Amino acid sequence: MLLGPISAAAPGALYQQIVDGLKREVSEGRLKPGTVLPSARELAEDLLVSVITVKRAYEELEKAGIINGRQGARALVAEQGPDRSRKAKLTSARDLLKRGLQEAAEAGLTQEQALQLIKLIQEEEL
Amino acid sequence: MNTNAIEIRGLKKSYGPGFQLGPLDLDVPRGAIYGLIGPNGAGKTTALDLVLGLGKNDAGEIRVFGLDHGREGVAIKRRTGYVGPELNFSAWNRVGRALRFVRGFYPDWDDAYCAELMKAFQLSPGDRIATLSFGAKTKLSLLLALAHRPELLILDEPTTGLDAVSKQQIFGELLKVVESGERTVLISSHGLSDLERFADHVALIKNGRLMLQGRMDEVVERFRLADFFLPNGRGLPNGAALTVLKHEGDRWQAVLDMQAGATERLRGLEAQQLALAPLTLEDLFVALVREKEGV
Repeated sequence: MLLGPISAAAPGALYQQIVDGLKREVSEGRLKPGTVLPSARELAEDLLVSVITVKRAYEELEKAGIINGRQGARALVAEQGPDRSRKAKLTSARDLLKRGLQEAAEAGLTQEQALQLIKLIQEEEL
Repeated sequence: MNTNAIEIRGLKKSYGPGFQLGPLDLDVPRGAIYGLIGPNGAGKTTALDLVLGLGKNDAGEIRVFGLDHGREGVAIKRRTGYVGPELNFSAWNRVGRALRFVRGFYPDWDDAYCAELMKAFQLSPGDRIATLSFGAKTKLSLLLALAHRPELLILDEPTTGLDAVSKQQIFGELLKVVESGERTVLISSHGLSDLERFADHVALIKNGRLMLQGRMDEVVERFRLADFFLPNGRGLPNGAALTVLKHEGDRWQAVLDMQAGATERLRGLEAQQLALAPLTLEDLFVALVREKEGV
């Protein structure tokens, strides 16, 4: 299992980056409901972070209902995991876009121009 | 006035058949804290020793303050301070005697600055050197190198084994040294997070060769940790712009050199869902040093 780039130099606490990375795997279907996740120790070793950091990330995901029932030391992707991950992503995307649109408005862009800017950004991406 | 405190061109030095430093080209700008990093055995100490005039180079040229290293070595030494990994001062018994001894060599010795450093480092002339802690000995060594206000200060792993408080004290003094923009600090260290925070410039050497040199912020900005997918089982060889860290199936993680055409290369490979994150100097170091060894 690979997670998106996890880096001490990136914004956000490491556990939050792990939470976001796992949410992405679940919402994009690479981790399907019922999949057994690596133990906190295994993932910690793989990402070169502390076990506590991974445990904290798993706790957050459990609270959000994306993973559940640690049977023994193992956590599983919840049945509702993909749905909830996508919803969480949607909320986060909404917040970020809202903030972006606000900045654009404060920069003097019309709504039309702000939408054009979004298209432009998409084209820049690989 | 020359803008570089040190200019090294085509420097070579070999020890037996096993190790060769260089050919090395390096520019240390005046007024900078310049970090020299590299794995153990990379040639950092050899390079620093040659700048200091310890040992003779096989080829190439070193200019310090525009002075030729071979012909004007004495003038260079007078304007240079050095802190090495050996902290053997016990022969002087007490701190005060060490101060008097070293003071004798330098007409420019600054008693007021010396007293200020003694206070900052919590040293006193009556302290017995043999009973000083490791950190206090390092501070004494730095004080002896600083008190004649050298224009160039060379430090070879000065913070190895020091606690966080001592390290910050030492970097605090080094920042004061370069405050005026006239004096220069060249430091080799494995304390990469400290260097990332305090050094203005950085050079990475490996197996005696320079791999990377530049302003710290630009060096760190230049590289990105990337996560992406490649279509239909396409392979991805390491290249100048791209160092593979891991891959699983069609998913890849790599360090990209954004200045060497990494984006173009990935576009050519039809990479998808590219996600990028900045790297710490330490992560960058590990990726670059491991690459050349072959993962």
